[in-house]
Amino acid sequence: MTNKKQMIEIIKAENPTLKVGDEKNGYIELSNTEYNAIISEWADARLDKEAKQVKAQAKAEAKSVAQSKLAALGLTVEDLTALGL
Amino acid sequence: MAKQTFTTGQVLTAAQMTSLQQTAMLGGDASVKVASYTLVAADAGTTVAMNSASTTTITVNTGLFAAGDTVFIQNRGAGVCTVTAGSATIASAGSLALPQNDAGILYFTSTSAATFYDFIQVGATSPLTTKGDLYGYSTSDARIPIGANGTVLTADSTESLGLKWAAAAAGSGLTVVKAKTSFSNVANTGSTFDSVFSATYDNYLIIIDRVSAATSSDDLLFTYLYSGTEQATGYYGNMLRLRYDLSSAPSASDVFHRNNATSFMINDNTGDNTYDTRASINVYMGHAIAMSGHCAAGGSNLGYSTFGGFNETLRTYTGFRLKSSSSNITGSCTVYGLAKS
Repeated sequence: MTNKKQMIEIIKAENPTLKVGDEKNGYIELSNTEYNAIISEWADARLDKEAKQVKAQAKAEAKSVAQSKLAALGLTVEDLTALGL
Repeated sequence: MAKQTFTTGQVLTAAQMTSLQQTAMLGGDASVKVASYTLVAADAGTTVAMNSASTTTITVNTGLFAAGDTVFIQNRGAGVCTVTAGSATIASAGSLALPQNDAGILYFTSTSAATFYDFIQVGATSPLTTKGDLYGYSTSDARIPIGANGTVLTADSTESLGLKWAAAAAGSGLTVVKAKTSFSNVANTGSTFDSVFSATYDNYLIIIDRVSAATSSDDLLFTYLYSGTEQATGYYGNMLRLRYDLSSAPSASDVFHRNNATSFMINDNTGDNTYDTRASINVYMGHAIAMSGHCAAGGSNLGYSTFGGFNETLRTYTGFRLKSSSSNITGSCTVYGLAKS
């Protein structure tokens, strides 16, 4: 699992500089302070998303394992529902 | 040569013929005046030239000229010379006022009436001087100076030229507050879409066009700005994601809850520019700060999303920021204001 420091390094490598603005009025490069604040925010967002994906994947795997066990017993989800479980 | 009365058998000299020829060609000697002057009978067929730095007049009276007589009138001086009806009447399609180096022919249609044919007719010279000037008219041609940027030409009978440049009246429908603005590979759009909300409107429509993130799994987020500062808390609402392959009711993982969040979410996994995101957002800046909308969602969760919510902090917001959750963002955006009813 990537930690925040590592994630910041990854994002900084992807984005050596950052800018804001538009095509009509031109672009301004962000200051170091602004740059680091946004990189930190992005790192938090990616780590959060990664954690959610890991959690969702674990949940899906657990469901798959449980369904396999049920199938081995000759049961289905409907059987469990009928039992009030 | 002045108008002559020829008699039978009279012999003309070469000098007389030359002078007559010149006069017939509107040339010949001129009688130069340096102050206002009243025409006399002897001026028939001659050139009267005014040469004065001050304003002068040439007055025309009755009983001096016959029908068909002409007087060629020039103004050589800096002062405007005006052909003036004394006891005679003078018709003209143009101006009777001759600026320097203008001239005209006074042609008598009777002993008491003449027509003045001004060489420089109305419209022959332009009053325009400056880029953007318009050609106007009051009692004579005049320039309508270009107005300030963003103003519109408005009819106003109290103005000397009947027109003025004025701020556009608020429309009855949607008005473009911020024309379509494209941005490419930026961290956020905060500087681009500040100063778009004002007291002029309560309701805004924001059209997001072809927005994509540098990383396809990124979320598209929306926050408010107040004079350049981002409102970073107090976002309450939901976003419901409906993927193209969703054939049954959405599950909890399709609902993105915003409970005192740092932003609103417009789309999950905004995507790269293969399937970019298009959205319309309604923003309300009245007694509550609300937004809602829907989007054709690009990215890996291709489909549709709907979203909405409130921000608990009531303040005067001036704009908004679009950003991707963890990479650069590209696209374009237009902001409209809806006229207050």
